[in-house]
Amino acid sequence: MRKQKQDILQGTLAMLVLKTLAVHDQMHGYAITAAIQRVSNELLRVEEGSLYPALHRMEQDGWVKAEWGLTEKNRQARFYRLTSAGRRQLAAEQAGWERLIQGVSLVLEQA
Amino acid sequence: MSWWRRGLNVFRQEGVSSDLDRELDFHIAERADELQASGMSEEEALREARRRLGNYTQQKERTWDVDVLGWLERLVADVRYALRTLRSNPGFATVAILSLALGIGANTAMFSLIDAVILKKLPVRDPDALVQILTTGGGDDFSNPLWEALHQHQTALAGVAAIGETRFNLSRGGEVRYAEGALVSGGFFDLLGVRAAAGRLIALSDDHRGCAAVAVLSNGMWQREYGGAQDALGRSISLNGRPYEIIGVAERSFFGVKVGRSVDVYIPICTEEAALRDPTLWFLNVIGRLKPDMAVAAANGHLQSIAQAVYAGALERADPNTPFFRPEPPDPAATISATPIARGLSPLRIDYSKALVVLMVLVAVVLLITCANVANLLLARSSARQREIAVRLSIGASRLRVIRQLMTESIVLALLSSIVSVLLALWGSRALVMLLSTSTSRVSLDLSIDARMLLFTLGAATIATLIFGAAPAWRAGFADPQKVLRSTGRGITGRSRLNPGKLLVIAQVGLSLPLIVAAGLLLGTLRKLTSDTGYTNAAVHFATLNLPGENERQRTVFDNVLERIRQTPGIDIASASQLMPLARQAWNGQFFVDGYQPPTSRDLLAFRNEVTDDYFATIGTRLLAGRDFDARDRPGTQLVAIVNTEFADHFYGTSAVVGRRFRVRSADGPEYEIIGVVQTARHRSLREKPERVVYTPWSQARNPAAAFTIAARGGTAPQFMNAMRTIARTVDPSMSLQFGSLNQQVAESTTRERILAFLSAAFGILALVLAVIGLYGIMAYNVARRRNEIGLRIALGSARARVVRLILGDAVWVLLPGLVLGLALIYTGIRFLESFLFGIAPTDPVTWTSSAAILLLVGLAAAGLPAWRASRVQPMAVLREE
Repeated sequence: MRKQKQDILQGTLAMLVLKTLAVHDQMHGYAITAAIQRVSNELLRVEEGSLYPALHRMEQDGWVKAEWGLTEKNRQARFYRLTSAGRRQLAAEQAGWERLIQGVSLVLEQA
Repeated sequence: MSWWRRGLNVFRQEGVSSDLDRELDFHIAERADELQASGMSEEEALREARRRLGNYTQQKERTWDVDVLGWLERLVADVRYALRTLRSNPGFATVAILSLALGIGANTAMFSLIDAVILKKLPVRDPDALVQILTTGGGDDFSNPLWEALHQHQTALAGVAAIGETRFNLSRGGEVRYAEGALVSGGFFDLLGVRAAAGRLIALSDDHRGCAAVAVLSNGMWQREYGGAQDALGRSISLNGRPYEIIGVAERSFFGVKVGRSVDVYIPICTEEAALRDPTLWFLNVIGRLKPDMAVAAANGHLQSIAQAVYAGALERADPNTPFFRPEPPDPAATISATPIARGLSPLRIDYSKALVVLMVLVAVVLLITCANVANLLLARSSARQREIAVRLSIGASRLRVIRQLMTESIVLALLSSIVSVLLALWGSRALVMLLSTSTSRVSLDLSIDARMLLFTLGAATIATLIFGAAPAWRAGFADPQKVLRSTGRGITGRSRLNPGKLLVIAQVGLSLPLIVAAGLLLGTLRKLTSDTGYTNAAVHFATLNLPGENERQRTVFDNVLERIRQTPGIDIASASQLMPLARQAWNGQFFVDGYQPPTSRDLLAFRNEVTDDYFATIGTRLLAGRDFDARDRPGTQLVAIVNTEFADHFYGTSAVVGRRFRVRSADGPEYEIIGVVQTARHRSLREKPERVVYTPWSQARNPAAAFTIAARGGTAPQFMNAMRTIARTVDPSMSLQFGSLNQQVAESTTRERILAFLSAAFGILALVLAVIGLYGIMAYNVARRRNEIGLRIALGSARARVVRLILGDAVWVLLPGLVLGLALIYTGIRFLESFLFGIAPTDPVTWTSSAAILLLVGLAAAGLPAWRASRVQPMAVLREE
């Protein structure tokens, strides 16, 4: 269970979190890691140590908003949701990522 | 989250911490649930969940760094720590804060005074475009005909206006009550852009021949006399016995155009009919406003081109029958010019600007001494905290952090002192202004707290902090922690001759000496000025009488009053004169003596004063030969006079002139016989060179009496004043009275010297106290450091007296270099004081040696206590401290 999962590159964590929130409207930190792990078919695993600093940094940058709420199990959790600035940031990062992929593929495909 | 929220979070750190805990705990709980679901026990699941999150503290800290503004958090922590340290060392804190507050406050007070007198611009519209119009040779006085001619002819300036200074007596009879007044032309307020706070201001329509008697009050006057009530408008105010209708009040910030003088009442020039065509009365100042984008040079060119026309125009407007006026064609070299006046007219500035600058330098020196003191205090304290700092350095604090924290302590100290200093400055500058004011010339300056003053305070505090805080912080931060932690304070410490503490005290002593010498010289000046004035030191009361109306009655009335006051019980002696001693005005005339050929026409001049019998006895001027005036001297008998020695020596070459004669006004004028000679007393002011004065008897005077001042000795001032009031009311209720005293006259004549002497003495004492504190501190610290050595010496047989000598010797090694430094400083700087001294040389040896002696003695006394304590050290107690 350990070797196949790769720790996500630092820069892409923000993008993945933003996308997850775009799909799911609002989530707490734990659910975000679970979602990323699940949707990527266990291929990606969030390094838990970097999650919360990253979430708080995104909050500072204005890409997400946070507020306290109750889970189904009646536990207090901090729920994050996307802001419009966050949506724009997501679009920008996605575009950048696609360009990166294209470039890398071109290089790798050369004979 | 933004800068703003991150900053705010610094102040809700518990909240942020608990929020983070909750968030991370939730994450762990969810993970634990998941693991439990896959088969682990509750305990194992929790442990594994924790492990997966990583180092809890580290995660929390990493998130914390995002949530909270790091540098602000550290700053707040430093400030809190600094405040705690100050609170736990109340003695040190009080001394440091108070001495800094005194130093900074004194500087701010001087600055606000200098700002108000020299630097601030007038609170009017666009002061930079204002100019003052001057006549030939830079004279700034205009007569009304000249002003009107200028007004008519000038076209280059956007506008011109005239203002004349005067005083109004608000009382009708009885004791006078003065208000500062101004005569203004119609365009005055408009030119300056002054608005009305109530009613309307004097306008061009109010300025014509035969205008109505209207008055505009200043805001201050309106509040004081009428309580700021709207119904003051339309009321009548009595100015010098004449009624004027109040038509408006000027806005609050406007005080006139003369810095240091606040005008209370403005009236139009045209109400003074007598002055309108008088070409010999020079009572107006003229100001103008440049057109936008116009340079002063251009204005000057234009004014010069119309100068001749203006002077000719003045001639046409003048009344040819004015006494003492001889119409002459204008001087072809006469000029009219303009000079910028953004900061207002100010004789105050001219009189005092140099003195203020000297005081500013003195007070800056005081600040330096204060900083040296506080630096020494901090150094002593940082030595005491060496271990604490060493421990912090050895467990990983960066040197920069330590230095920053120590600097923060200094900054907190400086800020706390600044707050206190602002209060001190406010109080101090007001006290200074009160010193400047005398009973006849009230000085009023706008000294409220404003941005400039606060900025100056902050600037001074910053500089002070850098001076006193940097060195100790640096030194502490670069201490070697190993050496400190290992040392135990035992052993014999070397006698470091030049540690920074000693250097600071040497500097303090060096800076104090010039202050003390300056104080000594200025006090000496004051003493020289007020001694040997030619008047007695006893209390002499004065009352100046003024009777409106015809002139023949005046002499009888005044004689009546004099007679009555002489009979009043409690009054030992009374007399009267036309002029008070040290009155700033004077009358002079030309005197012709047989056998004396005057080299210039000025040599014919001498001052005159009409006095009654007993005048000289009353004011204390000694009669050296001949007799005083008495009943023999009446209208119709031989005209007599008494002269002073200066007059006698000048005209006759000897003081033995009783019986000699002279003529007045011309070589064929009335002849006077000299019946007495008096010592030369100061006539107009204390600083003047001796002047020639002729005294003629009041009883023989023929011209109308201009004024009459009663001088009396005996009883207290209130007794005299009450007696005079009663007499005046009985004899003629319309008579006005103004009281004064010889002391007041002397005081007024020496205002500037008094201020300089007082302040320099205050600064000198302050410097002395600070130097003493500094010296005591350093000596006490030395003794504490060398306790072991001293204990050893005493145990080995050294006499206690020798120990005392040892310590005192140390003190001398600090005092002597300090004195040498001080002497060097004085030598270079003393020239600047030269113009303020009188009767005492800047290198006066008595002053220098006594100042040095005072400093030495006081310094040794300060070192005496630690020295005595050192001799009391119990060797066994010290050695047992191993």
